[in-house]
Amino acid sequence: MSIPIEPALQRRIDDYLTRLRGALVDLPPEEVAEIVREFHGHIVERAESMDSLDDAALTRILSALGNPLNIGSLYQSRAMVARARASTSPLLILTTTVRWAGKSIAGLAMSLFALFGYTAGICWLVGAILKFFHPDRVGLWVGPHMWNLSMGTLTVAERAREHATEVLGWWLVPIGFIAGPFILILTTLILRWALRFAFPKR
Amino acid sequence: MVMVDQIGNWEAQIRKGWLEVAILATLWRGRLYGLEIIRELETSSDLVVAEGTIYPVLARLRNDGLVEAEWEEGLSGHPRRYYKLTPAGRKRTLVLARHSSVFLDKMTALIKPLLAEGK
Repeated sequence: MSIPIEPALQRRIDDYLTRLRGALVDLPPEEVAEIVREFHGHIVERAESMDSLDDAALTRILSALGNPLNIGSLYQSRAMVARARASTSPLLILTTTVRWAGKSIAGLAMSLFALFGYTAGICWLVGAILKFFHPDRVGLWVGPHMWNLSMGTLTVAERAREHATEVLGWWLVPIGFIAGPFILILTTLILRWALRFAFPKR
Repeated sequence: MVMVDQIGNWEAQIRKGWLEVAILATLWRGRLYGLEIIRELETSSDLVVAEGTIYPVLARLRNDGLVEAEWEEGLSGHPRRYYKLTPAGRKRTLVLARHSSVFLDKMTALIKPLLAEGK
């Protein structure tokens, strides 16, 4: 049985639904419309189950429903993970992983892995491109005072100081163009797999 | 006070963990809409704290292919979104119910002597 809702109470309901809609901005509009419609139905039906709807009763209904911002974040976190897992966009995957980092140690570890993987992949690619423009200053260097292999630009003075030798030469170009994308794709695939463990099921 | 807060947090986590099983279980006998699920949970368990948290769980279960939803006009004039288990959802519910039952039996066996002594 439907009961009349006073304009002031209707405004409070609308305000609640507006805040919920605002907390769902990352979701597709049609999904947002369905969620809001469902919550509206819930509120109206709760109201109808009461003898009369006054301010206190509506407060109880909305309090029992919960904070719209918290509810929105429950939808958004999972939606974001679902989208990231279906996506090949490193930016979306990285953003989702960083958001995961705020929730758990595993998320933090995967964020560091993402940072390392994407940085390494981009370094190889950029190195391969820069080799064309600065062939003497871009390379893979080995030196007695270096811990290991290093890739980057060294001035002549720096090379002399480090007694470093460049080991790849022009091979840096094909290796960089293969290793860079390979590392980027591998990092993306590992992160997509790992994201299934993000935001555990309630 | 700290002890009470800790127990409260622990209880909240327990509720969250069981909520999915409970929602799937309420749908075992047939389709229900959100508020009916909440009412069912209110009478049969203490799991629902914020009613609004049920809906994101239902959305995820739908994304996972465990439940399906359809809109229907209610008698009172506003539409309701009914949820029902898919075949995969029925299988999952049964598996979770069996695991839950074994788990609860073991926990009960573990804490029963302790409770008897504590009397």
